[in-house]
Amino acid sequence: MHSSLFDSLSIILKRDLMIAFRRSSTYITPLIFFLIVVTFFPLALGPQESLLSSLAPGVIWIAALLASLLAVETIFSEDFRDGTLDDFFISLEPSFILVFAKVMIHWLITGLPILVASSIAAIILYLPLDSFIPMLLSLLLGTSFMSLLGALGAALALGKSAILSAIIVLPFSVPTLLMGTSVITSSLNNQDFSGFLMIMGAMLALGIPGLCLLTVEALLLNYE
Amino acid sequence: MLPNLKVENLSCVRSDKAIFDEVSFDVLPGQNIEIIGSNGSGKTTLLRTLLGLITQDKGEIVWLDDAGKYHNYRTFECLYQGHQLGIKNLLTVFENLNITKHAKGMSQEDIYKHLERVGLSNVNEFASNISVGQRKRIAMAKWLLKEFKIYFIDEPFSALDDTATLLIEKLIKELNAKGCSFVITGHRPSGIEATRVEI
Repeated sequence: MHSSLFDSLSIILKRDLMIAFRRSSTYITPLIFFLIVVTFFPLALGPQESLLSSLAPGVIWIAALLASLLAVETIFSEDFRDGTLDDFFISLEPSFILVFAKVMIHWLITGLPILVASSIAAIILYLPLDSFIPMLLSLLLGTSFMSLLGALGAALALGKSAILSAIIVLPFSVPTLLMGTSVITSSLNNQDFSGFLMIMGAMLALGIPGLCLLTVEALLLNYE
Repeated sequence: MLPNLKVENLSCVRSDKAIFDEVSFDVLPGQNIEIIGSNGSGKTTLLRTLLGLITQDKGEIVWLDDAGKYHNYRTFECLYQGHQLGIKNLLTVFENLNITKHAKGMSQEDIYKHLERVGLSNVNEFASNISVGQRKRIAMAKWLLKEFKIYFIDEPFSALDDTATLLIEKLIKELNAKGCSFVITGHRPSGIEATRVEI
């Protein structure tokens, strides 16, 4: 049973990553969007180091949040259209695995490129080198949680307008935004930020089972 | 011989309208059920209800387990092919068959053999570039990856030429001989040996 679950997970990952790499817009669009949004701030506000550095936590996090929502609609829509989703619900394995695999793929094609690009964004916004690690840690936890939330939004908005899933997800992303920016701001002010990271970790730990199960239920509603 | 699946007085109502009403049949090993109905008569809904994707309003669906007991949940894996066929446009014909759970442990030669069996030679062509009929042939090749007790196939004979129709009939006959059953839908009776259920 365990090896069968692992097989299903690895097949979904292999297949969807192969498809994502063949359709490069899937991972390039959020990355370019993130970098463009971040670049606009020095252009609009001028190259004042202290101003940009104090705005950096909010700018990086808002750009990351919006960029990670760009590909949310695609999490299940193609599988729903081409009938692959039926296969998962008909197989005797827990549908939770499908959702978890889809969340992992979404993170790998949006969250991971954002994580890499955030270092460039930090340089553009004059974020001190000491704040790089807290920023990367907060984005690692936060973008993973955003992928979980995105999957739920995508399941609820399946077959409907593409923007609907982002609208569903945005209000629920406020705690992640607050915690994420607090981590970077605290590190900028030489304060302890571990508490914020722990809260983000707890949100992710609860989100993996909780949001995946809710997403399964939301997906099943589309068959009724 | 006990039926692998028993359907008794199954009804499904949506928005106060009966999609199908009081449908009953047994699926015996090696035997087929053909659900006949016009467009919108609820054939797809019936298949999805049998597989648990949609909840029935009335009636019972029971599945036989290996110990000879019946349960109101599915006890074995089935193959379902709806209208969409589950084929990925950005994968090649070969990859569409190879990157599936049921192809695990199979060699490239085995996959090529199955594709050849259904008349597909353009194995490196992307699925987006092939015809509807050829997509149906990929779906048929999936039947050969593993023997399932019951295959649920929605309108298998639509969009097919005579050669492909004969091929499906042959494949169904072969799988029937191995004890596999088919529950298929259609607008009119097909050439396969089956118990017809009109809805």
